[in-house]
Amino acid sequence: MDYKSSEEKVDIIDSFNGIEVYKVMVDKFKTNSINIFFQDNLSKENATKNALVPAVLRRGTKKHKTFKDIALYLEELYGASFDCAVNKKGEYQLIQFYIDHVSDKYTGSDTNLFEDCTNLLLEVITEPLVENGAFKKDYLEQEKENLKKIIEGRMNDKVQYAVERCFEEMCKGEPFEIYENGSIEDLNKIQEADLFNHYKYILESLPMKVFISGDVDDSKIQSAIAKLKNLKRGNIKGLSQPIINKPKKDTNFVTEKLDVSQGKLSIGFRTNTASHDKDYYSLVVCNSILGGGIHSKLFQNVREKESLAYYAFSRLEKFKGLMMISCGIEVSNKDKAYNLILKQLEEIRQGNISDYEYDSSIKSIKTGLESLKDSQLAIVDFYLSQKISNTSDTLKSLYEKFEAVTRDEIVKASQKVEIDTVYFLSSENQ
Amino acid sequence: MEIKKIEYSKINEELFMYEHESGLKAFVIPKKGYSKKHAAFATYYGSVNNKFIAPYENDITSVPDGIAHFLEHKLFEQKDGSVMDKFSMTGASPNAYTSFTHTVYLFSCTDKFDENFDMLLDYVQNPYITEESVEKEKGIIGQEIRMYEDDPNWRAFFNLLGAFYKEHPVRIDIAGTVESISKINRDNLLKCYNTFYHPSNMVIVVVGDVDPEETLNKVAEGIKSTEHKPEIKRIFPESHKGINKDYVEQNLSVSIPIFQMGFKDELQGEKGFDSLKREVVIKLLLEMIVGRSSSLYNELYEEGLINSSFDSDYTIEEDYAFSMIGGESAEPLKVKNKILEEIKSLKSKGLDKKNFDRIRNAMRGRFIKQLNSVEKISHLFIPAYFKGSIMFDYFDVYDKITFEYANEVFLKHFDEDNFALSVIKPIKGD
Repeated sequence: MDYKSSEEKVDIIDSFNGIEVYKVMVDKFKTNSINIFFQDNLSKENATKNALVPAVLRRGTKKHKTFKDIALYLEELYGASFDCAVNKKGEYQLIQFYIDHVSDKYTGSDTNLFEDCTNLLLEVITEPLVENGAFKKDYLEQEKENLKKIIEGRMNDKVQYAVERCFEEMCKGEPFEIYENGSIEDLNKIQEADLFNHYKYILESLPMKVFISGDVDDSKIQSAIAKLKNLKRGNIKGLSQPIINKPKKDTNFVTEKLDVSQGKLSIGFRTNTASHDKDYYSLVVCNSILGGGIHSKLFQNVREKESLAYYAFSRLEKFKGLMMISCGIEVSNKDKAYNLILKQLEEIRQGNISDYEYDSSIKSIKTGLESLKDSQLAIVDFYLSQKISNTSDTLKSLYEKFEAVTRDEIVKASQKVEIDTVYFLSSENQ
Repeated sequence: MEIKKIEYSKINEELFMYEHESGLKAFVIPKKGYSKKHAAFATYYGSVNNKFIAPYENDITSVPDGIAHFLEHKLFEQKDGSVMDKFSMTGASPNAYTSFTHTVYLFSCTDKFDENFDMLLDYVQNPYITEESVEKEKGIIGQEIRMYEDDPNWRAFFNLLGAFYKEHPVRIDIAGTVESISKINRDNLLKCYNTFYHPSNMVIVVVGDVDPEETLNKVAEGIKSTEHKPEIKRIFPESHKGINKDYVEQNLSVSIPIFQMGFKDELQGEKGFDSLKREVVIKLLLEMIVGRSSSLYNELYEEGLINSSFDSDYTIEEDYAFSMIGGESAEPLKVKNKILEEIKSLKSKGLDKKNFDRIRNAMRGRFIKQLNSVEKISHLFIPAYFKGSIMFDYFDVYDKITFEYANEVFLKHFDEDNFALSVIKPIKGD
């Protein structure tokens, strides 16, 4: 069991026609994966269409006409997994096409899975099943219905819903309020011809990032690149930068009622710090001390000392410069929890940070970074995020920066954080 | 001390094993080149063990629902504070979870493994429970229960178990209810601890880039008890043939009906390798009937009766087993009827051997993929061990199951008399 290295290494190996190709060399995994991302600005005009296109594409290609044909073929490829997704990072929307497969050495026969999987992924993207110059009508109608259900179904996961609703209320009028799967209103407007034109626009104009990960021979990577070079590309869209700093306004209070057992309190903040600012590293440590794990002030006080909640966390949305605190509580404890949460932030602002909180936070951040190396998808996501925020940190350089953060810098970062919106999901009978 | 090494050359893994004189077994699965080291200390005691005869006693002890999970929370408490804080100081992430049959204490870390491993061995063997801390925990666990009450997927699952089983404790939520945990106190917690936390009822699993000998030496030094304990008598209600009821519904705040349906399995007393065989073959049959490459999945999907949340699973333990098919649908009854029709028609037509072989290969590939993750290995290893198997044996199971065996299980398991459906419906006017 000899492995060449455990140090993940991500290199850009080619760049052409608005397509950047990255190679993630790790040989400890039993799988290889290919991830293709198209990046767009989040906009009301495109969000719903961007979410619908991959959903229709995954239904069938010229060669594998139905979902069943694709699923059968994936099974023949020793249980390869393929899917598409849309995500939101700050004010960008990402359309992701993903496939992974076991390494040929585990198939017990003469296989060439990397090539087969790459071909399938490109086939899905570039050779959709077309009828009368547009997507197959049935597929489009069914996927519109599915997307409608996904948009309506946001309320089903109350923990996530309370976080997303708070962000939405907070960023009204900014691109960030747009849901990554779009809106029902825009969905109803989409016509067949529209969507097919939009698909061609995605393929020709949106910046692409391709990540090939695993233990793949250079010759195979080169032939994959050759196929990418054949993509018909036009003018590549220039993407805008997110707006991080907003003038301070009065705190916005929103209450929504649903038939729930547990209330959910979400508090949204503006950090006024962008991910490429030098203050960003202090902000990350500040967030960890506040609510980034079991060592944090929120966990220790809201949960352990006062027994108000089972979960209470704070998270950064680094691309848009936001921070979100959320917890699940008895509806009647809303004010108590709210005051206790704000008190924790105030403690940091006053410089009340114990050695335990400071050390544990830095160490927990380090463990988190080191742990990324054990997941192919996490490595890809890390480097994709670096590219999106125009930073060029590696795991190692990042850790050195976090380790150098002083208490004074943490206090300074916390003082830049401003409360914006308080969202409470309450029960009907209150 | 004697250390046994087993090589699994087909999947490029190895396993080191040591048996302590108390009867506890400890395993190390080295993962060269991985950053994360994952250690778990688990006991064969979960939420279903609510009636038992403790060693050296004659009378049956009945304990409140949710006590195994409550004990899991309380073990973190130590004389000098919470052991979580000590883990935090090294940057480790400690955690624990309780299932129907077992409770697992774990940590993962990238640094200071020895120190963390000593702590894990120490705190799990030394409970420190005060009445005051028990009362404090009731608020926290109360909120955990509330959170799950609002989770429609969780509720659909437990309602289905309630439909399958009239009396078996598997029908009860792992955390119990707010009412049942009010009966938990220091005495009944310690009674459960003293009954089930003897090393002979436990296992230790370490996965990661560690030295197997050094790690197993630590186990030899760190386990306090050296005596074998007499067997614990676990009392389960008489198993009834058939089910409790075939339909159950509940209204929650959801956008679309969410369902779980499936077959209660009449067990033949399978243990060890046979239990794995049954698990794999029923999962394979489910793939053949409703998996993504099946005609039925595609028909249901194209008619808009299911979406990509549709999935199936099978669970088997010594005393209960069931299959489950779940998802979201505007018309769960239609989905049910189509599934039952398909099963009828397959029973008369016979299963297709080509499908069986192809899906078996795909499942083998998917199993190998899981070996990429230290958590996943630990997570699969523990339940397999308590069922009397080694997780890597799954790989042999794929070779050992025959088409004839699949047919035999197919006719027995998918019996309409044992079928039930659970639906979570939207609240009218929501």
